[in-house]
Amino acid sequence: MSDSQNAQSMCALIAGGPFIDANQLPEALGWELKPQGLCQDDVCVPVADVAALKEDSGDRLDVLAVAATLDRPAVHDDVANIVAVGAPRASRRQAINDLVAPDFALPDLAGSLVALNDFRGKKKLLVAFSSW
Amino acid sequence: MIDAEHLVTELYAISNVPTVIWIDENNQIIQPNWTAFGTDTFVEFTGVESGPQKDLIRRWVTNGDVMMTADAATDAVHDLSPEEEQARLYFRIGAHLRRAGDEPGAERNFAMAVELAPYDWTVRRAAMPLRGADPFGEEFFTMYGEWQEAGSPYHGVPSR
Repeated sequence: MSDSQNAQSMCALIAGGPFIDANQLPEALGWELKPQGLCQDDVCVPVADVAALKEDSGDRLDVLAVAATLDRPAVHDDVANIVAVGAPRASRRQAINDLVAPDFALPDLAGSLVALNDFRGKKKLLVAFSSW
Repeated sequence: MIDAEHLVTELYAISNVPTVIWIDENNQIIQPNWTAFGTDTFVEFTGVESGPQKDLIRRWVTNGDVMMTADAATDAVHDLSPEEEQARLYFRIGAHLRRAGDEPGAERNFAMAVELAPYDWTVRRAAMPLRGADPFGEEFFTMYGEWQEAGSPYHGVPSR
């Protein structure tokens, strides 16, 4: 998975409630549950208690628990049954504490994805604004 | 670039716009979140002229002049609170439900987001047009007054 693809999975909306099959996790969050823990590429986060990541009765994963393990914020709208998972807090804390600009990828006006890292080697002015 | 999910406000702890960030060739942040204007459209309201701000940016691009030391830059932005994090996520669900035609669901989530982050312009003001309110109207001035009373909270370096 490229950095830009990682950036795309930073904000996830998961329909169907907080419980998903383990094989849906890579598409939902970009991580996979393996014997060594939650893994993305060659990075794994150890999981001491796998059962704590699963629903009480069943084998599906609780996305809220997975997000907490990955230090990502998450909320559940239990009426629409949608979970939103935010970006890893570590990315923002790196920006604030170490001044490392987090990569992200967003569509341009033509719909093509553009990533911050596309401009590595150049000075960049990131201007956030709204048309309201 | 179009940020329909407000990802950048989450990644960089942005709480109002315009917010400008200077990032160098190695993706190091030189100037963190800074309120800067590209035009003088709102100068009568903000009292901040864009010309001197753009001059500062030009001096960084051409000469490498910076506005603050790295130590000062690391102290310039405080992290989002858990409530501000959650507000962004409820906003994201609200926008998704609105696009899907679920207006009550959208409103439920926008209301939750605003309750969690009442002084965050990227949440409360951004939700105004999506909730049928005028982002330059009565709701804006109500928020502006409340925000000022709260000490004009901003994650970054205000204009000067």
